Amino acid sequence: MPRIHLGDWVDSGVDWLVGHLSWLFDAVKAVMEGMYDGIDAVLAAPEPLLMAGILAVAAWWLRGLLAGVLAFAGFALVDSLDLWDRAMSTLALVLVATVIALVISIPLGIWAARSRAVSAAVRPVLDLLQTMPSMVLLIPAMLFFGLGTAAGVVATLIFALAPGVRMTELGIRQVDAELVEAAEAFGTTPRDILWRVQLPLALPTIMAGVNQVIMLGLSMVVIAGMVGTGGLGGAVNEAIGQLDIGYGFEAGVGIVVLAIYLDRVTGALGTRLSPLGRRAAAKTRTRAWSHRPRPAVALAGVVVLALVAGGLGLLGSSAGTSEASGTDVGKGKEIRIGYIPWDEGIASTFLWKEILQERGFEVTTTQYAAGPLYTGLATGQLDFETDSWLPTTHAEYWSKYGDRLDDLGKWFGPTSLELTVPSYVKDVNSLADLRDHADEFDGKIIGIEPSAGMMGLLKSKVLKEYGLQDAYDVVDGSTPAMLAELKRAYARKQPVVVTLWSPHWAYSDYGLKKLKDPRGAWGKGDGVHTLARKGFAADNPQVGKWLKDFSMTEEQLTGLEAEIQKAGKGKEQDAVRGWLRRHPGLIDKWAPVAKDDARSQAAG
Amino acid sequence: MSPRLEAEHLFKVFGRRPTEAVERLRQGADRDELRSDGTTAAVIDASFRVEAGEIFVVMGLSGSGKSTLLRMLNGLLEPTAGRVRFDGRDLTGLTDRALRELRSKKISMVFQHFALFPHRSVRDNAAYGLEVQGVPRAERARRADEALALCGLAGWEKSWPDELSGGMQQRVGLARALATDADLLLMDESFSALDPLIRRDMQDQLLELQKTLKKTIVFITHDLNEAMRLGDRIAVMRDGRIVQTGTAEDILLRPAGDYVASFVRDVDRSRVLTAGALMDTSVTGDAPACRCETARPATPFAELCAISARLSHRVSVVDEAGRVVGVVPRQRLVGFLGDEAAGPAPCDNPDGKVISRA
Repeated sequence: MPRIHLGDWVDSGVDWLVGHLSWLFDAVKAVMEGMYDGIDAVLAAPEPLLMAGILAVAAWWLRGLLAGVLAFAGFALVDSLDLWDRAMSTLALVLVATVIALVISIPLGIWAARSRAVSAAVRPVLDLLQTMPSMVLLIPAMLFFGLGTAAGVVATLIFALAPGVRMTELGIRQVDAELVEAAEAFGTTPRDILWRVQLPLALPTIMAGVNQVIMLGLSMVVIAGMVGTGGLGGAVNEAIGQLDIGYGFEAGVGIVVLAIYLDRVTGALGTRLSPLGRRAAAKTRTRAWSHRPRPAVALAGVVVLALVAGGLGLLGSSAGTSEASGTDVGKGKEIRIGYIPWDEGIASTFLWKEILQERGFEVTTTQYAAGPLYTGLATGQLDFETDSWLPTTHAEYWSKYGDRLDDLGKWFGPTSLELTVPSYVKDVNSLADLRDHADEFDGKIIGIEPSAGMMGLLKSKVLKEYGLQDAYDVVDGSTPAMLAELKRAYARKQPVVVTLWSPHWAYSDYGLKKLKDPRGAWGKGDGVHTLARKGFAADNPQVGKWLKDFSMTEEQLTGLEAEIQKAGKGKEQDAVRGWLRRHPGLIDKWAPVAKDDARSQAAG
Repeated sequence: MSPRLEAEHLFKVFGRRPTEAVERLRQGADRDELRSDGTTAAVIDASFRVEAGEIFVVMGLSGSGKSTLLRMLNGLLEPTAGRVRFDGRDLTGLTDRALRELRSKKISMVFQHFALFPHRSVRDNAAYGLEVQGVPRAERARRADEALALCGLAGWEKSWPDELSGGMQQRVGLARALATDADLLLMDESFSALDPLIRRDMQDQLLELQKTLKKTIVFITHDLNEAMRLGDRIAVMRDGRIVQTGTAEDILLRPAGDYVASFVRDVDRSRVLTAGALMDTSVTGDAPACRCETARPATPFAELCAISARLSHRVSVVDEAGRVVGVVPRQRLVGFLGDEAAGPAPCDNPDGKVISRA
């Protein structure tokens, strides 16, 4: 069979689109982000409990008293888990994606219901959108829309479109043909048949579709979190990226609360909107727990709560302006750091977050997978990241994106990559020994993220060099999963071979043995480099200079890593702060401010 | 005067190359030949006229093309060939917009399964046609309520279709059709889905309404008894063709061909036949010879038998002016009941004496 170069065509197609239609993508992006910012601002503005009250009144009005009380309890729980802002930004994201999905899918569904040709053309496209693994579509979406909300909305949208179209088409096709004929027989125009007969009768099915759109949208927020939409999806991502089960569960509970709320409320909304549903609901007996206020009462409740919320917001906003100081170089300027949840990356990222905040910058840190991170830097969505292993491990990324990035130099090195076994594994001391012990290790090498540079190196070079490719399978996974497997095997004294690198805190926590590499297959050690978007150093000469001059010793780095590891998820910056307090003078060493410098920076 | 509704050589063919199929049908090809080519001839060369105020029944079994025929009369289906004229206007030449206008004002329809809108109240259902016409809300509610009252549904205006029995739902369907004041009512097996007793009620009510409203009605049914009861004239369809058009008596007494004959065999003749159909028209006169009870041409068979039993001689049939238009001898009554047209054979014991039983 000839090799069809479908992938190349898609590549060049995407390149062409990025090159020629960027104005369109920018416009779409602006609309989406505008919508998101607006909704998010409205949702996040009131005090959490007041907003929870407003949402609860809506549930009370649509479903009854019990639903209102439960909604309030659920949102109060979210607030008490300290996830309120994330929950609201997820809600805003889902709402934006839902609105756009419906604006596209309902007319498309109507069109498909009226024309067999359209229906036949739309169906395979929907199948593609729905079943194509979302990450595959996420990367092009990122190239088009950059990191953040727009790409997240698009990813959610693409996934959620299909049920909207399908259910609309189904709903309209299900309307009794005799009813449509009756409408025609009385001289109804096609447009009125749609509005007076088909849509009202299809409404329950369409609302079920809307419900599905929302639910699928929510299920996509975790995926969308990978491109830096933040919110609960981002929280889940960070948690699973760092194997923090508790935090992941909390964020998951937040998503569940949102999902149940949206599901029940949209379900009830469907009943309220449809005349048939209203009638069915009116028939059921009213009990205390299903009592519903009249719309006027509900509206009044929402308005009162909103006014109270507005009042509090005004009172609250006056506090909290930062005082200027001699070390305030940044003057609140925003710097965006991206990181991959690798330990030295987390340590150096939060170290710089702390340092830069100390120097008056507004710093946001967002966690990404390697692919999105480099794309984000190359497209200028991020300012810098601190964890590129060059020239070997991340060579692929450098060759692809290097011309759009600035290398701010090495801050740690040399590093080494290796396969590692626990020290209780006897007889295996070198890569060359692995071959004869394949059974012992079950023929598995526990790897990390397949996107990691060392995985590519391992599969394409190291295994071949030592003739291991037949004896071993490399298990793709994630760094936390690899560490969890190491921990599990270590506790049971089972033989295990993992991919690991130095520096790493695991070497200080466990008794491990780096397998020797007599043939030099892993190559010479890398340096850990800081990469910035093109022009970052020129825009921020002071920060650029600090980063270029930055370097850490192995002792400093492993110490900081261990500190962060102990503090746990969500407390990285506290750990950094504590560590810096115990090592005074480091901030001034890494980010020196001469008084004059600070002035000129501020003037510039 | 031209008839209210006239169909001229209507053809409806579904499938590929319909005009070609029509040409073949005109040259005598039959339905099965076309079916093997994947085309379905639903209606073949149908022609009839319906006069104003007449109930015209199209009777046929399922698949005979009667529903397709009906839908060509209001333009829901476009004829493959032929013409439909309504009040002298050719429907086939009208634009979609003009057709819709005509349907909303002049032609209305009653459906087999009622086709009431479940999301509208009874009143809103009845007012649907008026709503399409753009009649203001208050007026259409008034006219809808009138139509509902006419159909015996006063007081049910605020109910919902699913709260009504089948018969009542079809009354709403009828009220919806009547509310627009359309001249032509198309009724597609409108009573077939109802229980027999309710069906009879509805038939009676339709006839009752027709006495005052004088609509032109085309009524589709597969039930010959219903056709005979309702139809001023009846067209019998078979395999897409109209095989006979005539009054109930024509169909019953002079069936055109074996198909219609086999069809009418099971009909309860005593319900359909009237004195006018049975009488011997060779005997006429200005007035009856005696003062005995007489019958009218419309007197039904059962009543005629009762009159005959009370008389010692044949029953005279008189018209409105009192002139004798025919007579019915008892022999004929018995003969029609027994499906025997021949006269009596001579008897070898003409005195009719009873032979000893001992």
